[in-house]
Amino acid sequence: VGKQIDLLQGTLDMLILKAVSLGPLHGYGVLLRIQQISGEQLQIQQGSLYPALYRLEHQGWITGEWGESDNNRKAKFYSLTAAGKRQFQSETEKWNHMASVIAGILRSSPEEI
Amino acid sequence: MNLLARLRSWLKWVVKRQRLESDLEAEVRFHLDSYAGELVRSGVPAAEAVRRARIEFGGIESHKDAIRASVGLRWWDDLWGDLQYGARILWKSPGFTSIAVVSLALAIGANTSIFSLANQLLYAQLGVPHPEQLRLLTIIASEHSVVHSSWGSVSPAAGGGTRFASFTYPIYQQLRKESHVLDDIFAFKENIQANATIDGAAQAVRLELVSGNLYEQMGVRPVLGRPILPSDDQAPGTGAVATISEGLWERAFGKSPDAVGKVITVNMTPVTVIGVNPRAFTGAMSVQSSADIFMPLSMIPVVKGELGTSGPLLSSSEIWWVQLMARQKPGVPVEQARAALNVAFSAAIHATMTVAKNDTIPRLDLEDGSRGLNFYGKHFARPVYVLLAVVGFVLLIACANIANLMLARSSARQREMSVRLALGAGRGRIMRQVLTESLMLAAIGGAVGLFLGYLSRTALPKLLLNAWEREGMKVPFDWKVFSFTAGVTLATGVLFGIAPAWNATRAEIGTAIKDGGKASTKKRKGWSGRTLVAFQVALSTMLVFGASLFVRTLINLDAVDVGFRADNLVLFDLNPPNKQYPAPKDIALHARVEQALRDVPGVEGVTLTDIPLLANSVSESDFSVEGAPKTNEPHGEGSGAMQSTVGQDYLSVMGIPIVAGRNFRAQDVEAPQRFSIVNQALARKYFPKQNPIGRRFTMDDSNTKNRSWLEIVGVAADTRYANLQQETPPLHFDLYRQSKDIGGATYVVRTRLKPDAIVPSLRAVVQDIDRDLPLLGVRTQRQQINGTISQERVFASLTATFGILALALACVGIYGIMAYAVSQRTNEIGIRLALGAERGQVQGMVLKEAGRLAAVGVVVGIAVALGLGQLVKSMLYGLRPSDPASLVGAAVVLLGVALLAGWVPAMRASRVEPMEALRHE
Repeated sequence: VGKQIDLLQGTLDMLILKAVSLGPLHGYGVLLRIQQISGEQLQIQQGSLYPALYRLEHQGWITGEWGESDNNRKAKFYSLTAAGKRQFQSETEKWNHMASVIAGILRSSPEEI
Repeated sequence: MNLLARLRSWLKWVVKRQRLESDLEAEVRFHLDSYAGELVRSGVPAAEAVRRARIEFGGIESHKDAIRASVGLRWWDDLWGDLQYGARILWKSPGFTSIAVVSLALAIGANTSIFSLANQLLYAQLGVPHPEQLRLLTIIASEHSVVHSSWGSVSPAAGGGTRFASFTYPIYQQLRKESHVLDDIFAFKENIQANATIDGAAQAVRLELVSGNLYEQMGVRPVLGRPILPSDDQAPGTGAVATISEGLWERAFGKSPDAVGKVITVNMTPVTVIGVNPRAFTGAMSVQSSADIFMPLSMIPVVKGELGTSGPLLSSSEIWWVQLMARQKPGVPVEQARAALNVAFSAAIHATMTVAKNDTIPRLDLEDGSRGLNFYGKHFARPVYVLLAVVGFVLLIACANIANLMLARSSARQREMSVRLALGAGRGRIMRQVLTESLMLAAIGGAVGLFLGYLSRTALPKLLLNAWEREGMKVPFDWKVFSFTAGVTLATGVLFGIAPAWNATRAEIGTAIKDGGKASTKKRKGWSGRTLVAFQVALSTMLVFGASLFVRTLINLDAVDVGFRADNLVLFDLNPPNKQYPAPKDIALHARVEQALRDVPGVEGVTLTDIPLLANSVSESDFSVEGAPKTNEPHGEGSGAMQSTVGQDYLSVMGIPIVAGRNFRAQDVEAPQRFSIVNQALARKYFPKQNPIGRRFTMDDSNTKNRSWLEIVGVAADTRYANLQQETPPLHFDLYRQSKDIGGATYVVRTRLKPDAIVPSLRAVVQDIDRDLPLLGVRTQRQQINGTISQERVFASLTATFGILALALACVGIYGIMAYAVSQRTNEIGIRLALGAERGQVQGMVLKEAGRLAAVGVVVGIAVALGLGQLVKSMLYGLRPSDPASLVGAAVVLLGVALLAGWVPAMRASRVEPMEALRHE
């Protein structure tokens, strides 16, 4: 079992957007997909997923619709809206930029400074 | 974009709360079931799987709360809770709630209506673009000025001399040509009564004549048709066109677009309606009411042919009658414009008229014209300021009352606050709760106040008008004023609600709960409440004292002996148009009407006069006795006499006794010798210790050849003349049929019938003689008299109402503070009683305290009232502003009310059972 990482503040929203960008998912499905993509390395408290989902829906980035799950039960499926797609893109760019800047700083050797 | 999405989502949650909550429930259940199912598939026993699913999910309710917060429902839920709690609290203490609401409502309502009225009367501007640019041209004339005869209102100027707003027409034209410091000067003549026939119906209308450039300069576009143009205002007598007010359009044409192009007659002259004014445009005269019909100045011969002997008005250089206004030119300072205009004015006087050796040239002034001639503003300024002060005091009393109630209440709730703090409520949360409650109270009070203000909006202007006048003034409901007064009272409520709550939440929880607000010794914290009550009493004393002054003034006026039998007299005016009835045809017409009216069944006597008694009208005459030394003193106060031109039955119809000599006789009217009857005041002044009968006097200037002499045949008893306030002036009655002209006159009919019953037959008789002659201003003599004191009446009733209101509020304030004090001191009183105090002593203790509070307030109130009384001196009659009866009365009433208000708590205190009080915590 790999060492589990606590989620950075504010990154849960981005992960949810990524998860639903691949196709509509219900809440439990979002949880599974994140765990799957991260190779079971991320630890999310299951319940705390929902306030995040509702917040994203509140902001109009994802939208929920009731449908049938695999085991024929009613479930609420979330998908990315156009606004959500734009938001996800800009968040991704920001994140990548920041990551590269920070990586650059951490990589720097004494001579360079 | 994002905000919109959030708002939409929030609204969805608020509206479909129940469904979304159950959806959320289902979603969580689905999650738990799915996870548990997976655990079961991986070999965990079913019961254990469900348990683990729940544990790993975390606290369901706290997650749900987080969800609600994330969609912005937290504050909404809190607010809703606060509102429900607040409503319950307010409902539980109906006494407190209703007193607070009524105080708020009355203060807001009274202030809104009086301030709106004041705003409309004193500050409203003409409904034209940029009214602040308008300047009114006025003249300040000293004695012996070139202005010998004017038509229009004249008032004393602030720095001495006389102020006119009237010019001769030739001077207007000269000024307009010469002046380059103002925009094009425009002219108008306002407030002309005329008879109009519209669609066959004769009615009285008010005219305003305007110069052809007025509409253009004012910047007014009619809502229908076209404005009056310079081309309409050309040669005298041409330009038979009219624009009408929106009011007349509605009244006479039912707002029909066909009104434009209709031909109406004004004083028998056909005039074509060319346009309808917008509602906001009230002409150049006043903001409060509009003339009905506007015509070019060139039409002046239709309404007023000639005045005196100086020829037609438009070419007369003797008569000063037309009002002038202009817009200020940008970049030209007023001082510069005034100086340049004075030069042009002086030149215009010399160019248009002959200036006698002793005549002085008046000074021209530029006044603010944004409110037109501003008659109301000048006439009502003092009473309106007094009313403003009065309602201002009422507002203060109401604020004090609310502050008091809030203070008492929140100290009583200190324990509750402490308990809630102890249970973990945040201070902000408690403050918000208190604030919600205060605002709820304020909102209810504000709503009721708004309603009251709205009701009085139409009632107040009616109070200022005479009963027989059509409603002429509109007071629009003033939202700015309403928000201001509402804001002030709300702020008071909130401030005095929040401040104690703030203190309460700062207190040590332990002591507050233990203390329970029932400490057995008096504490200093009571002082702010007591100060408020004393303040209230002081204000109420002032209002009650003021009300007493005005009520006693009214009583004194009502008790004045007018000197004639004022009951059973019906009055109406008849204004035969000058053009159709030039002298002496007017006299013949009146003689015919007078005779015809005598035969109407129910009529006991008919007469007419140019000056109805007690109607605020006067006619001065240059009275000089034959053979008396010629006085050199200038005309004005102390010289001359008043005059009434009357029918031969005047004295008997009015019921004025003859004290010497004889009454007029029927044959007098035909005699070559003119006769007159003088009153006792005149006899006393001009014939001291002499018999005036048989003496002769004249009203003609001493320069006139062939002066016309009147012989005194009788002396009549004194009567009031123009108003109830003034002592009888020297007055002589002359026969109209022996005069050169009379023009319009007021008919007086003595009848036992009700006006409604007799007027139709009177009207029929007049219309038999001239179909187009309407009866104007039908009223009884009593109404006429009441009309002259309507302002005093309004004042007495308003101040009395506010005085009673103030008393009620003060009563509530004293009761509240004493009841609170008694309840706080139950313990102490119990101990006193246990130690042997008499119940009477306890009662006395409470009453004494209430009395002391009231006494302080009364003393302060009376001191201030004595100072302020001087300001209303001119509005009183028959008493001084330091009227002792009113002073003593106000003090006694206030002390009585205070003791009454203290009585209930005092009784309650004396009924305290010592054992119970001591055991009671």
